[in-house]
Amino acid sequence: MAKRLTVVPERCSGCRLCEAVCALQHFGVNNPKKSAIRVLALYPHPVIRMPVVCRQCAQPKCRENCPTGAIVSENGVVTIDAGKCISCRQCVISCPFGAIFFHDDIATPFKCDLCGGHPQCVQQCPKGALQFVPDHGLGEANRLASVLRYAHMSEVEYVEKGERKKLRYAEIGREQKERAGP
Amino acid sequence: MDLSSGESRVVPFGERFALKYVGGRGFGAKLLFDQLPRITDPLGPENIVVIAPGPLTGLYLPGAAKTAFVTLSPLTGIYGDSNMGGNFGAELRQAGYDALVLAGRAEKLSYLYVDGDEVTIVPAPHLAGKRCLEAEGLIREELHSQEVRIAAIGPGGENLVRFATVNCDWSRNAGRCGVGAVLGSKNLKAIVLRGGSDLPAADVAGLRVLTERSMDELAAHPLFGFWQQQGLMSVVDYVNSAGVLPTRNYRENVFEAAQAIDGFKMEQDYKIGDTACFGCPMSCGNICLVKDGKYKGTITEGPEYETACMLGSNLGVGDFAAILKGNQLCDDLGIDTISSGNLIGVLIEGLESGLLTPSDVDGLPLAWGADEQINALLEKIARREGVGDTLAGGSRALAERWPQLAPLMVQVKGMEQSAYDGRATISMALAYGTCDIGAHHNRAWTVGKELEAGARWSPQDRVDLVIYHQTIRPLFDMLGVCRLPWIELGFDENHYAEFYSLVTGVAHTLDDLLARSRAIWDLTRLISASRGISRKDDYPPPRMFERPVERGPYAGRVVDRAEYDQLLDLYYQARGWSRDGIPPADRARDFKDTLV
Repeated sequence: MAKRLTVVPERCSGCRLCEAVCALQHFGVNNPKKSAIRVLALYPHPVIRMPVVCRQCAQPKCRENCPTGAIVSENGVVTIDAGKCISCRQCVISCPFGAIFFHDDIATPFKCDLCGGHPQCVQQCPKGALQFVPDHGLGEANRLASVLRYAHMSEVEYVEKGERKKLRYAEIGREQKERAGP
Repeated sequence: MDLSSGESRVVPFGERFALKYVGGRGFGAKLLFDQLPRITDPLGPENIVVIAPGPLTGLYLPGAAKTAFVTLSPLTGIYGDSNMGGNFGAELRQAGYDALVLAGRAEKLSYLYVDGDEVTIVPAPHLAGKRCLEAEGLIREELHSQEVRIAAIGPGGENLVRFATVNCDWSRNAGRCGVGAVLGSKNLKAIVLRGGSDLPAADVAGLRVLTERSMDELAAHPLFGFWQQQGLMSVVDYVNSAGVLPTRNYRENVFEAAQAIDGFKMEQDYKIGDTACFGCPMSCGNICLVKDGKYKGTITEGPEYETACMLGSNLGVGDFAAILKGNQLCDDLGIDTISSGNLIGVLIEGLESGLLTPSDVDGLPLAWGADEQINALLEKIARREGVGDTLAGGSRALAERWPQLAPLMVQVKGMEQSAYDGRATISMALAYGTCDIGAHHNRAWTVGKELEAGARWSPQDRVDLVIYHQTIRPLFDMLGVCRLPWIELGFDENHYAEFYSLVTGVAHTLDDLLARSRAIWDLTRLISASRGISRKDDYPPPRMFERPVERGPYAGRVVDRAEYDQLLDLYYQARGWSRDGIPPADRARDFKDTLV
């Protein structure tokens, strides 16, 4: 079962712990600029905190445009072969997401390799903004959310002591929740 | 960096210096002390601003995000510092520096661009008068970069408002002591950073293990989730329920509209997201949006507790949206919400008591809860317009123009008090009286403990608690990390000694580090004593002695003068200072060492 690293930007706080742990995992240093995931924080219009990381595209632009064939896809992971790479950085420019990075200390551009199947950023994210989900899970969260939004808005009619009343689904259980407190 | 000549140099420091002063506030105090004989005017070119994160900043470590701004304060004339979170400190260290020392004055309004070892003063007259976020946006456009980190001053700093701030990452501020005004006096609109260096740690693997264990520990705390939800806004309800929420210029301690401005209200009607400083899982930053009403569209990262009180209950404002607007204005104009709220409270009470006339305040119908007038006044302060010009000078300027307002004021050493009351808990009065930068709670926050358990404490107990706080709390400002994991989630303070040992490669206990912090306390006292500070300045404001709390469980309370004097005597004894609050004559010798 293939898994994908996905991002839930609404949950991202911009703490950059993902950057810190990625650099440690791959290069053994405390250096967020050597991370294969970057958090872009924009404010105040729009307000977005967006971790940007390789999507392991099935038809990757980076591979397509690499002049030496240094980029290959293996088991759903797109990798850069250092032996063939000439550091022209065409991949950096080609990626539509800007998810390939480079640093003066490092010979070739670098990108996410999913940490061999146990992505550390997912493990360390304190907000659940990074998820490692099975392929079929992509989009499901949004489908569920839209269904719930619909349910949230709909009303149910009922009769209490002979009187017709309406109640929104969203209100049910709210009083109990408020009483319980934080 | 000498802004007058445009010359900059990289100054190395040795291990001895590093271990003695640690970093952050420690480096800043030492460097300021060295320059002190040359400094006459805090707004003159000889004053310096030291911008220093700590040895733990930017590393993979909980809360590794704090940067100290240290200077001779134009508000108080004495030692001043203010802390800022966000990403600035991490970037400065990645640029290769543990401190940035700014001296002199640029010829025209400029920004400093530090790109690793390339340091440039960029003339920026087009940024004059721009609000902080506007200036930041323009700089990003010019440099074609979303990734540089920018700390900027607003019109407040440019206009030398004595409590002007430095703003970064939307809503992180070096808020107190008027640091922004010092940058303004140097014609420095912003500092822009880019860096990519590895950050040093002696035991990288060991640090990672400790950090990941720590993150698990923090996440397992029962209040972790609640903390992420409300952040510091949880303090509003806590303090109001405890009966120590400053209300209407500190007259009352309970606010009838507290529920309209607390963390629960925020969560319910305004909060749309979370933000965090570098390396922090607690994400106490709250992004709030006003969805309707006259302030519709106002979006801030905020408020924090202090702002909710000082622009809220302290001014009789029971409208969360109005507080958000005030918060946004202060962030963008670059002025301190605490000082602003405090001074406006004095003004409103002055008007109410007939000590001021409407013409004194340019006819502005200021009153408790008059949010539109209060927000208009914030603009006037930043631009030094009309009565705003007097307010911009701080408590001293206000008292100079209107001496009749002096008994209403709540300030120590010239700096406006923050959002706790000292009459309910005398240890907090001592905390405010003896804080080294003026009336701020950063150094000692003893309210909670004393309310909980302090009824039977002896005077010595109270003194010991204040001194303990004043030793451990600023240690965080030296290490360059945030106190909140420790103070809010019970994170073991000994872990910080472990972190420091792993990073420096030199074994330290917490006591070792506390000793360093204790030394810096004497150092900041020496700096301020050289500018005339002594016992007479270590008292809470007269209002605390004379005006009883009007409402709440502590109604009727004042600080007892004799009791306070006794505490102060014990305090000086414990610190090894004279009865007049001066460290021994030879103490200064201990800080005359060289960097290498």
